[in-house]
Amino acid sequence: MAISTATKAATDALAVNRAPVSVGAQEVHRWMQSFTWDFDKNRTKYSTKYKMANDTKEQFKLIAKEYARMESVKDERQFGSLQDVLTRVDAANRVHPKWNESMKVISNFLEVGEYNAIAATGMLWDSATAPEQKNGYLGQVLDEIRHTNQCGYINYYFAKQGQDAAGHNDARRTRAIGPLWKGMKRVFSDGFISGDAVECSINLQLVGEACFTNPLIVAVTEWASANGDEMTPTVFLSIETDELRHMANGYQTVVSIANDEAASKYLNTDLNNAFWTQQKYFTPVLGMMFEYGSHFKVEPWVKTWNRWVYEDWGGIWIGRLGKYGVESPASLRDAKKDAYWAHHDLFLIAYALWPTGFFRLTLPTAEEAEWYEANYPGWYDMYGKVYEEWRARGCEDPDSGFLPLQWFIENNHPIYIDRVSQVPFCPSYCKGASTLRVLEFNGKKHSFSDPWGERMWLSEPERYECQNIFEQYEGRELSEVIAEGHGLRSDGKTLISQPHTNKNGRLWTLDDIKKIGCVFSDPLKAL
Amino acid sequence: MSINSNAYNAGIMQKTGKAFADEYFAEENQVVHESDTVVLVLKKSDELNTVVEEILLGSHKDQNSTLVVEDRAGFWWLKATGKIEIDCVEVSELLGKHYSVYDLLVDVSSTIGRAYTLGETFTITSELMGLDVKLKDFETA
Repeated sequence: MAISTATKAATDALAVNRAPVSVGAQEVHRWMQSFTWDFDKNRTKYSTKYKMANDTKEQFKLIAKEYARMESVKDERQFGSLQDVLTRVDAANRVHPKWNESMKVISNFLEVGEYNAIAATGMLWDSATAPEQKNGYLGQVLDEIRHTNQCGYINYYFAKQGQDAAGHNDARRTRAIGPLWKGMKRVFSDGFISGDAVECSINLQLVGEACFTNPLIVAVTEWASANGDEMTPTVFLSIETDELRHMANGYQTVVSIANDEAASKYLNTDLNNAFWTQQKYFTPVLGMMFEYGSHFKVEPWVKTWNRWVYEDWGGIWIGRLGKYGVESPASLRDAKKDAYWAHHDLFLIAYALWPTGFFRLTLPTAEEAEWYEANYPGWYDMYGKVYEEWRARGCEDPDSGFLPLQWFIENNHPIYIDRVSQVPFCPSYCKGASTLRVLEFNGKKHSFSDPWGERMWLSEPERYECQNIFEQYEGRELSEVIAEGHGLRSDGKTLISQPHTNKNGRLWTLDDIKKIGCVFSDPLKAL
Repeated sequence: MSINSNAYNAGIMQKTGKAFADEYFAEENQVVHESDTVVLVLKKSDELNTVVEEILLGSHKDQNSTLVVEDRAGFWWLKATGKIEIDCVEVSELLGKHYSVYDLLVDVSSTIGRAYTLGETFTITSELMGLDVKLKDFETA
């Protein structure tokens, strides 16, 4: 019987390249490469404007056996710590209540990012033509599955073992009303899996992972430890042990296109778009979680950002690629301004919109206000005095009848949603790099907070059609929307989110919100 | 007292308040500056504590005077100019058990720079591997 061409090729290759006698992983890896699989004429469903070279390497020389052994040891160490000593010492109840709330956001949102990264790296596996590069991407698919499970597990652990489970257990059900969800989906989902395959790699691996996982997954463990949380370092530092291979995958994506003509035309624009897309969300949200969601401060967020994003990612990754034509991102100046101020702007709005969230927020104490002013001169005049006014009006007390959102309305400071990033902003009361610009398309108005997102929208406006909460719920009363959007605890009347973390303070209910009579309106209609 | 330029809180990071803001927003700092340093984050574990304390800060300390190692709660943070190398054959001898480069990778949490393995050696370098320098394949003896 005639054998197939593929079988013949494999048989011939085996005749020339005998299987190694040793089982050394690197020797086996070398032997496997000698098969010279030909993916040069690879047909992919996921096209790219770049031509990816087919001799690109994978830097860690992984084979499946070593991969599986390595990952099983990681899991053994992680689950062993969590289920033995950390449970025995009641670690989840030793976490500061403010940080407990931050972890509802960080771990739930990271879970979504990891889940979408499975699809992203599967897509890249299909697009690449180099066998080793494919191997690197395939390992990453498996990693992302592991990370999705790890994030799900830490939420489960916090919910089961710790304090105030609501929000840890089922945050995703509030995704329609929570103002942070849609921006997170833009950065963690759309940016990773939509459009040109190499652009997706730049978003996910070169920027998302090589740059922002360092504050998001590494630096966060310093804040966690300082605030009594020993579970997050155990899990997140284990997640990050895979991220270094993902960073290498992103770098090798760039290596694979470095000699392609398209790189000189498009790479800097794609890099700048990816940098702005990722920083627009991560910069304010992480800063807010670290500083406003902690009791014990490690360092000002702007310093964390300056170290990991500007000096190290900027200098060691991007700066070193300068001789290959890679430029400093054009949006860096605005990103730096955001790193200093945007998380303060976002917390002001997040606190004002607290009933729509799935976690509890706390106003800065007098001691914290001093810390903010010392590290961000000008903070008190812009933000501190507003919080004092809100506190004096009883914003934490359900009997007060006061929601901070009213302050924005009374003072004519409308809150808009940036169409591209989906991040809320208040152009008349902010210190970050946000200014209002409005464009019309297909009979609909669109607000933008910056020229970088506006440019991306102008090139493909149909990509950014997601309705924001003001459009979606215009004319609807707030308590009705919260009930419809599953923003309630298991008693069916108490809100998941609260404007305080005081264990003895009364929790707001749907009735407390209803009596205020707050109705959604779309600020774009007033223009 | 002077501080190593590779330290966690070196340079601008020592400044606070307005002094920090002035340098942070200075015109020359609105673009990235090329750096030939590398950063390594090692998850604390029995083996990695040994690698840090006995090898990098012990027997190999004189080999790279630019290397800084800092204890950041759950992890060791390392920064050096040029490169950092860990030979797992040497680690095996110290631990008294087989310890491959893949065992090391179990606890290597993050890398800024080009990291790769060759045989039983883990390297993170400021060199542009695959662009300026070819990534070597493993050669059998």
